[in-house]
Amino acid sequence: MEFEPVIGLEIHVELKTKSKMFSNGPVLFGAEPNTLVVPLDMGFPGTMPIVNKEAVIYAIRVSNALHMKIDHELHFDRKNYFYSDLPKGYQITQNLRPIGSDGYLEIEVDGKTKRINIERLHMEEDTCKQLHFNTFTLLDYNRAGTPLVEIVSRPDIRSGEEAMKYVEKIRSIVVFSEVSDGKMEEGSLRCDVNISLREKGTEPFGTKVEIKNINSISHIQRAVDFEIARQSKILNEGGTIAQETRRYDDAKRETILMRVKTDAVDYKYFPEPNITPIALSDEFVEDAIKNCPELADSKKVRYMNEYGLNEYDASQLLIDKDLSNYYDELTKYSKQYKLLANWVNVDINGYLNKNNITVLNFSLKPQELASLVEMVAKNTISSNQAKEIFNKMISDNLTALEAKKALGISEQISDNEFIIKVINEVLDEFPNSIVDYKEGKGRALGFMIGQVMKKTQGKVNPKLTNDLLLEELKKR
Amino acid sequence: MKNYRNLTIKELHELLVKKEVTPLELTKEALELAKKDTNNAIEYLMEKEALEIASNLKEPEVNNPLWGIPFIIKDNMSTKDVPTTASSNILNGYVPLFDATVVTKLKEAHAVPICKATLDELAMGGTGTTGHLGTTYNPYDRSHKHLVGGSSCGSAALVADGVAPLALASDTGDSTRKPASYAGLVGFKPTWSRISRFGLFPFAPSLDTIGFFTRSVLDSAYTLNVLAGRDLNDSTSSTKEVEDYTRLLNEPIKGKKIAIIKEINEATSDKTLLDLFAKTVKELENKGAEVHYVSVSRHLLETLFPTYFVISCAEATSNNANLDGVKFGPAYDGATYQEVMTKARTKGFSELIKRRFVIGSYALMRENQNELFLRAQKNRRRIVEEINKILEEYDLIYTIAAPSVAPTFDNASDKLSDEYLIADNHLVIGNFTGLPSITIPVGFENDLPLGVNIMGKAFHEAEVLQLANKIEEITGLYGLVAKEGK
Repeated sequence: MEFEPVIGLEIHVELKTKSKMFSNGPVLFGAEPNTLVVPLDMGFPGTMPIVNKEAVIYAIRVSNALHMKIDHELHFDRKNYFYSDLPKGYQITQNLRPIGSDGYLEIEVDGKTKRINIERLHMEEDTCKQLHFNTFTLLDYNRAGTPLVEIVSRPDIRSGEEAMKYVEKIRSIVVFSEVSDGKMEEGSLRCDVNISLREKGTEPFGTKVEIKNINSISHIQRAVDFEIARQSKILNEGGTIAQETRRYDDAKRETILMRVKTDAVDYKYFPEPNITPIALSDEFVEDAIKNCPELADSKKVRYMNEYGLNEYDASQLLIDKDLSNYYDELTKYSKQYKLLANWVNVDINGYLNKNNITVLNFSLKPQELASLVEMVAKNTISSNQAKEIFNKMISDNLTALEAKKALGISEQISDNEFIIKVINEVLDEFPNSIVDYKEGKGRALGFMIGQVMKKTQGKVNPKLTNDLLLEELKKR
Repeated sequence: MKNYRNLTIKELHELLVKKEVTPLELTKEALELAKKDTNNAIEYLMEKEALEIASNLKEPEVNNPLWGIPFIIKDNMSTKDVPTTASSNILNGYVPLFDATVVTKLKEAHAVPICKATLDELAMGGTGTTGHLGTTYNPYDRSHKHLVGGSSCGSAALVADGVAPLALASDTGDSTRKPASYAGLVGFKPTWSRISRFGLFPFAPSLDTIGFFTRSVLDSAYTLNVLAGRDLNDSTSSTKEVEDYTRLLNEPIKGKKIAIIKEINEATSDKTLLDLFAKTVKELENKGAEVHYVSVSRHLLETLFPTYFVISCAEATSNNANLDGVKFGPAYDGATYQEVMTKARTKGFSELIKRRFVIGSYALMRENQNELFLRAQKNRRRIVEEINKILEEYDLIYTIAAPSVAPTFDNASDKLSDEYLIADNHLVIGNFTGLPSITIPVGFENDLPLGVNIMGKAFHEAEVLQLANKIEEITGLYGLVAKEGK
């Protein structure tokens, strides 16, 4: 029997606001445990939630990027349950009126565009972090109260690849809009997958299995593919799928049962009485959207249509937001868009990878790199020389001109008249080489260029010299 | 030593300004009286803090009536470095890191905190019998047969017994205004959001307000002047500008339209109370007020208590879910987090509290929410609309505060009678509507105080205080304290 997977994703994104969702406790990844905590974060009696405006702005940005309807009135609800990581015994979330609803995003699969509908985006607060040991558990409240948005897709996803593309796209949006680090490894983007199978061509959904705690984008595809195979096998063998929560173990490359779900938990939602509804003015919402940094999709269009980059180059630039920002900076100083893109994608990327740093720690100022690229473009230095200069600029912290000088690289001669004069001197001196060349001996050409270089101490532009030599040879 | 126990803030202020008494002397007297407390009203004596603050107060602030005035804090308000338990064992040993905004404000006004006063556990209850210290007694009955009412039982008992002229309290159903009636005090509750709740342990935030006890209406106006206002720590606090709440006190009430809800007064059988009430009405009319009886469906009024109980228990079960033995309060070992929490909550809460949590939780369950919690919310809305309709025509609503004097501990009222359902519970209207409401003494019966209540339009505190002041003038009842015990 052939099955069709029905997949929906719930993605939690930690917002990188300065302070927490409802308190002035700072938000920072990797600080000493329990150093970023104010009384509200630990649920001390009498503390009261104050909605973080920055978090609302971020939620609006993401909602807008996902083409959602944005509620101009903020409502919060309480989700009540007991758990050791939940300081107040309830989580403040948005149940009845999420800030964003009914949106979508588009992914590319097999060269085709597919639309994934998104049900809702709501704001809520994170729990504290638990570190379990054999006989005890440690609690780190630094994370408690960190603003989150939860993005819930419709069950429109049909494969592991689609799921991965969807998450990649969400990540790109939250990273480019600068609302989150979007790092799955650090938990700033967390993904739960709901997956069921149904007989192809039929409507009703099968029994849903939830996969939790997937901590990298590549694992999403593997987890989903494994789960599809697992469920197919069970169904094909006449078995039934149990409603359960599983986790993905990448070492074993399989999903592992965490718990069988009984009746869904009753969270006893009710409106948060300590936050009265907050009206958002049109202006506030518009400003939040207007001040959103440019997203990858829009940049891509710009790179291709305005800068004439091909899709590959454009996409490469957009893998890393900071790298694309660096590229954008470069374009302020040089119009050599293609050349700049090559430098970023090849040379800078190579350098960053080799040294295991990000572009944010890259020392070369865009302005300096741009002036180096301009030299290449004007043929005043060769590309090999440019690479030498590039390395020198970084190692000695020099400007392009300083590095060139330090390396003793003088300007290339691109004066046609002068080069032709020298070429003819060489041709006159080595008539045999002309004969060799005409007889098809490839080495002759290199020899003659070498002679020109010798006469000019290597200062002539090699490519130009090559072109002009071919012209002159035709005349002989 | 001279005795200052029955003076009002105003009277004490005059003595302080004339330097006939110092804040330190007042504080010492308050501490002495507190130590001699026979009503079981005190959770924690702030002796060190009080003496330190008072001894630094040297030069009287002529325009600050609260300068040097001793005050009492209900123990469901957070006090920095001072144990705060809300009279629940689950918070034994809890020492907060911050002051409630109202405490901060009174300290900034150079008033002197004397002690933390006991209450019904977690402010849930109206009898003053459910706190972890046991029963709190009404100082008007030294034989300890009568309750003082709750949940602000300690605050009420201490002001009525002369310890201090001001006590902070809270009011979710009638927790300030009912004990005020039983203890011969002025008990004030402002419009919801007028005073910051930051630092008040939440019971039912949609109903909770800070309240306070004083011995005169003017003292309440003084106190409100200090406590009212926007607080960035409480986003529900109103941005509405704060007025001088004393400004209307001596204005004539000629032409004021006052409504008496007939069904509420009819629900009591206490003739003395009704006679005293009628006398004030007559005097008010003599002063030119237009007083009329209005009608609210008895059936609707009978739903006050169940509506309140469902909403407040539902909110309470959630608000107190933070009390799980993990972060503060007594901690217990357990193999699982469930065991740790279950032990803390089983040992930490009394049976009455658990009962409320079960009821609240039941009302919020998915399958019951429509029938209970949402239905209660809808009914609350109906009650609010009904009251607002009256206030479209009238400036103020005037009623009895309680069915009678403070009941005895062994008194088992018929929980289905109108006397209980309406006369004993109508003050919750002020919490449903969020409207300002004040209880003031109207007289005595068998040496026990009787009270009346006034409710006004939202943010019309000045007008409520104005009428209260008129009634106080009529009765001459202010500066009341119980006779000193032996």
